[in-house]
Amino acid sequence: MEKFILKLLAFFVLFAFTSVFANEQAATSTVESTHKEETYQTKPFTQMISGFIASTGINAFINPDPDELSSDGEQMSDFHKGVGRLIMILVTFLLFWLAIAKGFEPLLLIPIAFGGLLANIPVAGIAGDHGFLGVIYDMGLSNEMFPIIIFMGVGAMTDFGPLLSNPKTALLGGAAQFGIFGTLVGAVALSQMGFVDFTLQQASAISIIGGADGPTSIFIATKLAPELLGAIAVASYSYMAMVPIIQPPIMKALTTDAERRIKMTTLRHVSRLEKLIFPILVLSLAILVLPESTPLIGAFMFGNFLKESGVVERLNDTLQNSLINITTIFLGLGVGSKLAADQFLVPDTMFIMVLGIIAFSVGTAAGVLMAKLMNVFPGNKINPLIGSAGVSAVPMAARVSNKVGMEYDRTNMLLMHAMGPNVAGVIGSAVAAGVLISLFQ
Amino acid sequence: METNLIIEGLKFMALGMGTVFIFLIILIAVMNAMSTIIHKFFPEPQANIETHQTGTKDNKKIIAAISAAITHHREG
Repeated sequence: MEKFILKLLAFFVLFAFTSVFANEQAATSTVESTHKEETYQTKPFTQMISGFIASTGINAFINPDPDELSSDGEQMSDFHKGVGRLIMILVTFLLFWLAIAKGFEPLLLIPIAFGGLLANIPVAGIAGDHGFLGVIYDMGLSNEMFPIIIFMGVGAMTDFGPLLSNPKTALLGGAAQFGIFGTLVGAVALSQMGFVDFTLQQASAISIIGGADGPTSIFIATKLAPELLGAIAVASYSYMAMVPIIQPPIMKALTTDAERRIKMTTLRHVSRLEKLIFPILVLSLAILVLPESTPLIGAFMFGNFLKESGVVERLNDTLQNSLINITTIFLGLGVGSKLAADQFLVPDTMFIMVLGIIAFSVGTAAGVLMAKLMNVFPGNKINPLIGSAGVSAVPMAARVSNKVGMEYDRTNMLLMHAMGPNVAGVIGSAVAAGVLISLFQ
Repeated sequence: METNLIIEGLKFMALGMGTVFIFLIILIAVMNAMSTIIHKFFPEPQANIETHQTGTKDNKKIIAAISAAITHHREG
């Protein structure tokens, strides 16, 4: 009985406390709400309608708000606020068409194009500091985080076996980097002649498109010329998607029929230990020769090491699938935020597109010519068609080599031979990126 | 100032291509050295062949046993 009374007492005491507490909270909240309440003045209905019309998108396109600033907080011309945005929205529709109907790198072009669509909406300011695209950009692009994570995933997907079994094909991946530096000279020559006004940093960021490596291009562009990021990323990914169209004519023009029929010796077996040591080996070399390249090469080799270690299957699986997919969505949207009319509809963009395709073609040609040069020396002959795979674009470029080879000899399987220069191209463009960064430090 | 830009570009090219090639040439040398060392001290393929052979021997034994059992069953 006593126990029951005690319990009852305790209950009452508790109840009293909570109710007092609740009362206090309620009191404070009413005080706050009175503070927040704004004075609402009644307006005539006609005024409400005209006010609503002034806030619509149609009005924003026709009569741009003179006080509206770009996502960088700078003044924009009326063209970029009105017609320019409509043009950019049409451009994003074109990108949708390329991605969906033509199958051009849809995994990246769709997020990029949709980001571009959102970034060109007036009034809402989605790409601004407080818009979600702006937040995504600040979260992982302005600090080069997303390209690095993508690189880890690519590392986990890469098999260095073909390169290890025929190491000298790495030279082809090196030669293809000529596309980068050749275009760099071309870009500065253009601005020298007065067509455009590219600084050395901007020219370097543009030329890295020739590396045919999306994450590397984005990494360099955000570091050296963030104002050109949108154009560089779009050029880079759309040309990578167009590799099967751009490369074959160049490959055929530079080789003879006999060269295209060269059969290469079968690749030797590569032991697991070799594959396991290789990432550490490349990273050690990068540490000694060019520490500036280690963010890219380090992330790449981390992914590859996880895969080859064979004991962390769960992490390897996450890197190859979930993590790279999530990051791709954010990377695409973040890049898309740079497709705002005021940043994309400038004369520079056209030159970037032209220089990008030159970079690609020069890289392809250099790879093919390097293979021909290597055939002058004694040793196992190399089919020059695999030289074009030296421009990264894994595995698309290797597939193109294989396809062109099969056109001339149905039995000539070049795919695995082309994977060697292909992955060496990734390492080569990461090294080239490191050189460019180190030059501007 | 104007003429400097192209020369700068050419300098970048020489340095960049030089570094890329030196890096890859050292890499090729190291790869070759590594594969020689590994094949000398940690020969993996031979071990594979041995296990493979024992595997086929076992298979032959099993096949012999099964066929013996079948003939026994038919006769019986």
